[in-house]
Amino acid sequence: MTEIFHEIGSDKPAVHKPTRFSWIDFLLVLCIAGLFYGFISVKKEWTDVLRPVVEIDLSPWALPKYTFFSLVRGIIAYCLSLLFTLIYGYWAAKDRVAEKVLMPLLDILQSIPVLGFLPGLVLTLVGLFPRSNVGLELAAIVMIFTGQVWNMTFSFHHSLRALPADMRQVARIFRFNWWQTLRWVEIPYAAIGLIWNSMMSMAGGWFFLMICESFVLGSQDFRLPGVGSYMSVAVNEGNFPAMVYAITAMVVMIVFLDLFLWRPVVAWSQKFKIEETGMQIVASSFFLNWLRKARLLQYISGMSSFIIGSWFHYLFSRKRVYSERGGKIRLPFRIFLYIIYAIFISFFGFGCWKLYHLLQALSISGWRQIFWHGCLTLFRVLSAVAIGTLWALPAGLAVGLSPRLSRILQPVVQIVASFPAPMLYTLIVILLQTIGVSLNFGSIVLMLLGTQWYILFNVIAGAMSVPSDLMEVSGLYEMNLWQRLKNLYIPAVFPFLVTGWITAAGGAWNASIVAEYVVFRGYTLTARGLGAMISQAAEKADFALLAGTVLTMSAFVVVFNRIVWRSLYNIAQKKYSL
Amino acid sequence: MAELSAQVNSSLCDLKGINHSFILPNGNPITVLKDINLTIYRDEIVALLGPSGCGKSTLLRILAGLISPTTGQVLYHGIPLKGVNPGVSIVFQNFALYPWMTVLENVEVVLKAKGLPRGEIKRLADKAIRMVGLAGYEEAYPRELSGGMKQRVGIARALVVEPEILCMDEPFSQVDALTAETLRAEVLDIWSCVEKNPTTVFMVSHDIKEVVYMADRIVIMGTNPGSVRSILRNTLSRPRNSRSQEFLNFVDRIHRIITSAIIPDVEIQAPVTPLKVSPETMILEPLPDVSVNEIIGLLEVLDAHQGEEDIFHLAIEIHKEFGHLINIAKAAELLDLVDTPKQKIILTKLGKRFVDSDTATRKRLWKEQLCTLNIYKRILDMLRRDPKGRLERDYIEGELVLHLPQEDPVKMFNVLTGWARYGELFAYSEDTGYITLE
Repeated sequence: MTEIFHEIGSDKPAVHKPTRFSWIDFLLVLCIAGLFYGFISVKKEWTDVLRPVVEIDLSPWALPKYTFFSLVRGIIAYCLSLLFTLIYGYWAAKDRVAEKVLMPLLDILQSIPVLGFLPGLVLTLVGLFPRSNVGLELAAIVMIFTGQVWNMTFSFHHSLRALPADMRQVARIFRFNWWQTLRWVEIPYAAIGLIWNSMMSMAGGWFFLMICESFVLGSQDFRLPGVGSYMSVAVNEGNFPAMVYAITAMVVMIVFLDLFLWRPVVAWSQKFKIEETGMQIVASSFFLNWLRKARLLQYISGMSSFIIGSWFHYLFSRKRVYSERGGKIRLPFRIFLYIIYAIFISFFGFGCWKLYHLLQALSISGWRQIFWHGCLTLFRVLSAVAIGTLWALPAGLAVGLSPRLSRILQPVVQIVASFPAPMLYTLIVILLQTIGVSLNFGSIVLMLLGTQWYILFNVIAGAMSVPSDLMEVSGLYEMNLWQRLKNLYIPAVFPFLVTGWITAAGGAWNASIVAEYVVFRGYTLTARGLGAMISQAAEKADFALLAGTVLTMSAFVVVFNRIVWRSLYNIAQKKYSL
Repeated sequence: MAELSAQVNSSLCDLKGINHSFILPNGNPITVLKDINLTIYRDEIVALLGPSGCGKSTLLRILAGLISPTTGQVLYHGIPLKGVNPGVSIVFQNFALYPWMTVLENVEVVLKAKGLPRGEIKRLADKAIRMVGLAGYEEAYPRELSGGMKQRVGIARALVVEPEILCMDEPFSQVDALTAETLRAEVLDIWSCVEKNPTTVFMVSHDIKEVVYMADRIVIMGTNPGSVRSILRNTLSRPRNSRSQEFLNFVDRIHRIITSAIIPDVEIQAPVTPLKVSPETMILEPLPDVSVNEIIGLLEVLDAHQGEEDIFHLAIEIHKEFGHLINIAKAAELLDLVDTPKQKIILTKLGKRFVDSDTATRKRLWKEQLCTLNIYKRILDMLRRDPKGRLERDYIEGELVLHLPQEDPVKMFNVLTGWARYGELFAYSEDTGYITLE
């Protein structure tokens, strides 16, 4: 305990004890210089004249640059996600009318597979910047963004709504304005959930990196230099060493992000914990401890928070969006909101109108075929979830119930889970082909690869939260393993398991697009399913089919969510919540 | 005290015709506060005293402007209040400190919100922290502090903005008894400094001794719906000694007022209904929100005291909140297991027999007593008449709303089935949502 307190206590820049400039500062300067060079090359890449096809250099020496390009895309997309989350989540939490539209809309958006956004976006953005790579880069970033953003927004919105009443009342009685309330109360309260979801999101963003960076629409090849496109070129050429290089580069990038971004952030976020419940892993980060010692950084952070703070104070302190009485939104701001609604609705209406025209090209038999393929994919998704549960439930229980194992394995599992599974698909498909499994069943294995982790994570978290007194009771009555499983562990982790299922199924639907349609050395393997149909439609640039299939897939996801998962979730909440 | 009464006519805040109600999830409105008229003067300590659920915390929040009442007005310096009351700050029952801020930051943040210059913030926060005796703890986080220390931070934060009215919502109920005593004296010290704010303290409490120790005026509230029963002026000279005879006499006087207000000596059971009255027109008894175990516990304790005890002594002895103990006594009285003349609770013959019996007999007696209540008669009657012998939860809740509009039907339903389960009168399955005969 004292450990934690010490850590939290030392978070403030220590004023009394003087710290000298150290070699850490020197290292930081070097890093900044390196970054500077990196950004110059990114800028050059972006503003370069749009080439018909980017040639990817498969030599391993080109990889660091490509990886850096991908990393920059991922980070810019994450910043966008954060911005979107803060604005959208805040709006939905504060405006009860908007919330009724915004939250279901988010649920639907989340179910649309990435390929549903891709063609429209690529064509629009490339059209907007015809003479440079900016459009294509932006398109790739927005693609990655669509793989990251949704769960962050859900988490932030949930935290805002769950803020304890008295914390909010303190803010009101001491007259914090909305910006102060957000900065001092709401964001700190939401921080932990937001950070955990950010980690998940970052991993989710990498999932479609290969597609986002090497996108083919009909005859047009929209390829961008990056580790994803490097991999896809390597796969197309069947260049095994290059594939291994790319996988290694990806792993290095993920470990790097974990060590130098997420671990420090998680350790720092401990101070936002509301209360300590269950078993806790003391999060610590050597990097954070370093940074805290570096004087240069203290200076920079002090300056920037002062500048940002006073600037925002100047900007917002006088304008109160909410009127004094009952927290109602002021009239000018409300008119502004109505205008936004109007734009929103007309935009939506226009989209529906366009979509309707597009879909008219599909025949009844076409729809029937789409639906049938949807059922096939549904079967695969459920199989993947079932198989995942079969191994992840016992494994998760074993890890979660043993403090030692969870301390060692959890970080490892986290890194493994962040690795974008599609990069391994080719290798696995080759393996499956040699043992004679067709892609119709093999795609289940591919889906499993990406989604089993969600089940594992949640079971571990559930097992760690089993109250120790209940464990003692089962020890006291000398229950055997089966009785313990039946009476204690499975009921206790059930709510977590359901959350895991929901996330895993969502991931599996998304993964079906790449799992049912694998390209290797110029020729294509497909399975019968909705995911393969979407991929094919995108490849052939058959927009009517693409719209129809994407729409059907989101319908499947949303309906299944509402009917099956939601009711399971309710049962879990009612019956098994501890 | 004489000077104090002379100043009393300058009013600070007026609550005029306050009514407050909100809508239950099932769509029925429930009235929390009814016809409250109250004036708060300069230089006094006003305390709201009442059992839990009488809406005293809601009234405090209406005064602070955090909740706007359904009807009625709050005047501050004679001007109708719009939004948050500028002269008020609050000490919260659960401290409501921000766990991500240190003690110092928790205090400083409210000054920052006022937009004071940096140096001024530092000076004022330091002063407030020293005043409540927290010097040396500036860099500690709330989770490292005990309940009493946390409330000191809460008080420092409330005082640092120099409010005219200091509102305290059950400020010492989460603090251990000894610390609470110290804190009460300290708050009185701070208040008694006339030149400085706060000029007035408005507190909410359910602890009679605390109120007599602190307040100049005591507002006694009743439940269902919350309303002012009476207002007492406390003229005991300060500093007050909680062991002096006058002090204890005053406490006793309040006891008597509360008892007569909450449990009138007249029989509260519904009049015996003649046979011809159809079940639809029966008056249903509202069941107090207490569990079977609490009622049996009360009987056991009474038995240990030779079947008779003063209700206030009992509350202290078993560490139950006074208002809740009264509810338990009411419930037991409804079932004829105890009698409550004046402030006493006496075990009835039936109650004595109940305590002396084994579990099976207890259940039988319990069942017989339940069957004397109209509310159970009514439900049994409906169950027998239903072709499938079952009733849906929603239906019963609907009936409860119809007959007992002042009660929360969900709570009432839980009490109803809880009591019935012990007596094995009827069964309720959460999964199906149906009540069935055993």
